[in-house]
Amino acid sequence: MPEQKITLTIDDDGAITAKTSGFKGESCLEALDELLNLEGVVSSVKKTDEFHQQLTQQTTRFQSLKGKS
Amino acid sequence: MSAVIKTTTPFVIEEVLLEALTAVGAEPVRIASLNQQAVRHIGGLLVGDILTNRSDYYGPQHFRFDGKRWILRHDSSEMNGRISSMLAEKHYSNVGRFLGEVGSAYEVAYQGYVARIAEQERIRLEEERKARVETTRQQAIAKAKSQGYSVKETTNSKGQIQLVLTRMV
Repeated sequence: MPEQKITLTIDDDGAITAKTSGFKGESCLEALDELLNLEGVVSSVKKTDEFHQQLTQQTTRFQSLKGKS
Repeated sequence: MSAVIKTTTPFVIEEVLLEALTAVGAEPVRIASLNQQAVRHIGGLLVGDILTNRSDYYGPQHFRFDGKRWILRHDSSEMNGRISSMLAEKHYSNVGRFLGEVGSAYEVAYQGYVARIAEQERIRLEEERKARVETTRQQAIAKAKSQGYSVKETTNSKGQIQLVLTRMV
């Protein structure tokens, strides 16, 4: 069973930095939004290599499925 | 005829005025309902007046708040001006000189007052900050648990709170 992991760091002013792993594509952002209510409070989003890799894998799979039909 | 005058420092903060009066040896006493009748003054005294150890024909010279600042009430001719003190052996100085001394002491006391206020504000802001961090921590933990994460709490090398949330899917 795959593990989803989120590391939250709360800085001295109460701001949160969140790092995720084990999520697929955009689901990491969705999970963070559910957890932290991110609407209007995010100052930056940096997508990791893992995010891009998973997104590429998903896109590739999607394209190959389309190619089959 | 021409003239140059200088007004006294506006004594607007009671705490600072009391400190200044103490510094110049004027032994301030605040009139309260308990001691209002014990002190005689021809013009009468009000609760809240600040007595000094200086007296004149009317009685003790005192400060009264006029809604904006504290004003020294005294006999304009300073008839029978004297120091009424059991503690201090001071000579009576005229009102202008006295107010000048109080003004200088007030400015010194005011600097201390501002520093105290700044320190209190700093402490208040620091407490607010800590409370904000704690609220964020508690909310994050509660929300994570409600979504099925297990929570492990540590601190990083900067002493910041770190919450490691994990769940199996």
